[in-house]
Amino acid sequence: MTVETGKGAIDYPIAPTSPKALKGGLAARQGRVGLWFVMPWIVGFFLWYAIPMVASLWFSFTDFNLVSNQPTEFIWFDNWRRLFTDPAVRQSAMVTIKFGALALPVAIFFPMALAYLLVSKSLKARETFRALFFMPSIIPFVAAVLIFGGIMNGQIGWVNKMLAVVGIDGPSWFLDEFWVYPSLVFIGLWGVGNAMIIFIASMNAVPSSLYDAARIDGASEWQMFRHVTFPVITPIIFYNLVIALIGIFNYFLVPFVLNNGSGDPGGATLFYALYFFRQGFQFFNMGYAATLAWALFIVAVAITGLLFWSAKYWVHYEYER
Amino acid sequence: MRRWKSVAVVVALLMIIAACGDSGGSEETTTTDGATDTTEGSTETTEGSTDTTADSGASGDKVTVRWFIGLGAGGQPEQEAAQREVVEEFNSSQDEIELVIEIVENDVAYETLATQIASGNAPDIIGPVGRDGSNEYAGLYLDIEPLVDATGVDTSMWEDAAIENQRESDGTLVGLPFASYPSALYYNRDLFDEAGLPYPPQEYGPDGTATYGEGTEFEGPWDYDKVTEIAQILTVDGNGVDATDASFDRSNTVQWGFHWQWTTRIFQNGAYWGAGYPMADDGTADIPAVWEDEWDWWHDAIWDLGISPSQEQMDAVGDNVFQTGNLAMAATHLWYTCCIADDANGITGDFWDLAVLPAHDGAVTANMHADTFRILASTEHPEEAFTTMYYLLTDAALPLLQAYGGAPADPALTDAYLAGLDERYPQGVNWQVALDGAAFADDPSHEAAVPGWGEYKVRLGELESAILSDAELDVDAAIADAESDLTIIFEENAE
Repeated sequence: MTVETGKGAIDYPIAPTSPKALKGGLAARQGRVGLWFVMPWIVGFFLWYAIPMVASLWFSFTDFNLVSNQPTEFIWFDNWRRLFTDPAVRQSAMVTIKFGALALPVAIFFPMALAYLLVSKSLKARETFRALFFMPSIIPFVAAVLIFGGIMNGQIGWVNKMLAVVGIDGPSWFLDEFWVYPSLVFIGLWGVGNAMIIFIASMNAVPSSLYDAARIDGASEWQMFRHVTFPVITPIIFYNLVIALIGIFNYFLVPFVLNNGSGDPGGATLFYALYFFRQGFQFFNMGYAATLAWALFIVAVAITGLLFWSAKYWVHYEYER
Repeated sequence: MRRWKSVAVVVALLMIIAACGDSGGSEETTTTDGATDTTEGSTETTEGSTDTTADSGASGDKVTVRWFIGLGAGGQPEQEAAQREVVEEFNSSQDEIELVIEIVENDVAYETLATQIASGNAPDIIGPVGRDGSNEYAGLYLDIEPLVDATGVDTSMWEDAAIENQRESDGTLVGLPFASYPSALYYNRDLFDEAGLPYPPQEYGPDGTATYGEGTEFEGPWDYDKVTEIAQILTVDGNGVDATDASFDRSNTVQWGFHWQWTTRIFQNGAYWGAGYPMADDGTADIPAVWEDEWDWWHDAIWDLGISPSQEQMDAVGDNVFQTGNLAMAATHLWYTCCIADDANGITGDFWDLAVLPAHDGAVTANMHADTFRILASTEHPEEAFTTMYYLLTDAALPLLQAYGGAPADPALTDAYLAGLDERYPQGVNWQVALDGAAFADDPSHEAAVPGWGEYKVRLGELESAILSDAELDVDAAIADAESDLTIIFEENAE
């Protein structure tokens, strides 16, 4: 069959269908092929995520214990009732909230401030500084935590030795219930490189015409940041906020490495995730541990949902390309 | 395209089948995965196990007995080699049993075994493992007494008391003696010489008590008061001032007088002052008063006297304080001989000797640890598992004990064992002191099982941390809190 086009005639060996059907058929075929390409991931997702999640929901209604010689029984909502009466849950939730209240603002505003400095045109060797600030992110965090454990040791740590030089008697950073949270937040600064890079990218994407207009209107540096930069980068702030929040819910590695998961000092580092680990992998109470995990999941989803709902009031997408 | 689709479907199905295959068919495969993730050695071992299982499963000629290692000793490379030799020797002598070892790193051994048990894929034998490790799986062990009686194996080489020590609280016999680790006081000769102090005594009196510094100005009963007194002389700060001096700076201590070396678990060091059991007959927690006294003393020793290192000080110098040469006295078990000399770092560890443990209230308690092997009640081959276990306890005992550093429960093997230790520590250690300590073993054991063993350890671990970390701790109030929590733990975990 011959079809006339603007640039001449094309001979088709077979009869063409309508352009819509042709497009639909090709898209569907490509979609099916694509599906097969991602099949290993899909299978993996079901085997290692979806099915275990459903299984863990089931476990949360049982008294499943890995080393019990009694058969596992379905106990309805007993684990969920225990969750609300377990003082350790309250304690670990409060520990997580207290830490989060301190860590979350720092996790957002510190890399943002750093990024703002590093996009400044008056800063020399910006690229070098960016590389230097990002470099800690590529060091394994466990190693960094161990190093900080030494640096901030109350007896021999450099921090206290330097404080002693100026006549200050430094505290036991990780063994003092007051100082342990600031110390953990301080360690967390080691890993702000990723957030900083994302902020730098978003700040560089702010249209220069907005700054030009602001300058013509006589805006100061602070006013330009407050009324131009900040609103434009709110989607990135929102993204980092969600990531940081989830990170706080799952906060585990640092207290586990520093104190072997003991919760020292005085339970001040018994984070929720650590308590979950203790129930599941030290006491082998898999049923109750599954309940703890699901409770965390529900709270995390609810708070993230709340954040998404609030986004319409403070996140501005109109400048996005 | 159709052909590619078919290939993809087959691959997907194979993945699903591989992951969801029934436990009967994939038991050993699951184990292989777990072990391969942990250690290099285990990869080799488990490969062997997979092959063996395939053979035995197919032919039925030999019964496979699986030996799980990792709950205690057995994970070090040199230990792996010795164990592998034992297995090879056993297998070559057997036409009915194929012994397969599964070595899992200690850090993940408990979770791995728990997962195997829960998934119906439990090994037949576990060990070497002490009471602490085996308490995690209390109630899951096979009572071997009927097998001992039925087979009529010789048990005369072990002391009756050592056999009785293997019974659970309900009377079932779950093991036979293998290795014992009595306690003694390790002391640093150089530091005593430097301070001009007499060495601690090396002989227990008839009632266990001894005298320190006979004929010297320091002469007196060898008890924890005397330890406190001389530990103050032996504790020194960075300015060279000892802890008897008012100007001693605790925050700048460079040498300590006394420490519970790797025996800081409070039910452990509490028992050095007197054996006890932390649960009353009615199932409530009842921490022995003598333990409470010791915990008070220890807190004072750390924070008031400064003679014992705090957690932060241990973080600074490393928790193997005695090995540093800056600790004068350490109460611990014979297994600690593992870790004073360190060839890799050029530490010869030739500065120490053993002394008898001090008395408290006129009585000596020398805590005892004992490792053995246990058979899980889920085994499908109890007779074969018992035959194998008996081999490990007898014919294979010496090479295994030398690899693990454990003192033989069979006295006939003691000389050969001590000769090995003398090679490692040629300074002439008086090993008899440790062996004599066995007569003053803690009974009941400080590791006697309680309901909810894991939670019990964690709760007392919190108290231990507080003692080690909190100078202002009200120890008595903290003990009362712990006792109240332990009562709940015991109640929740009671059978």
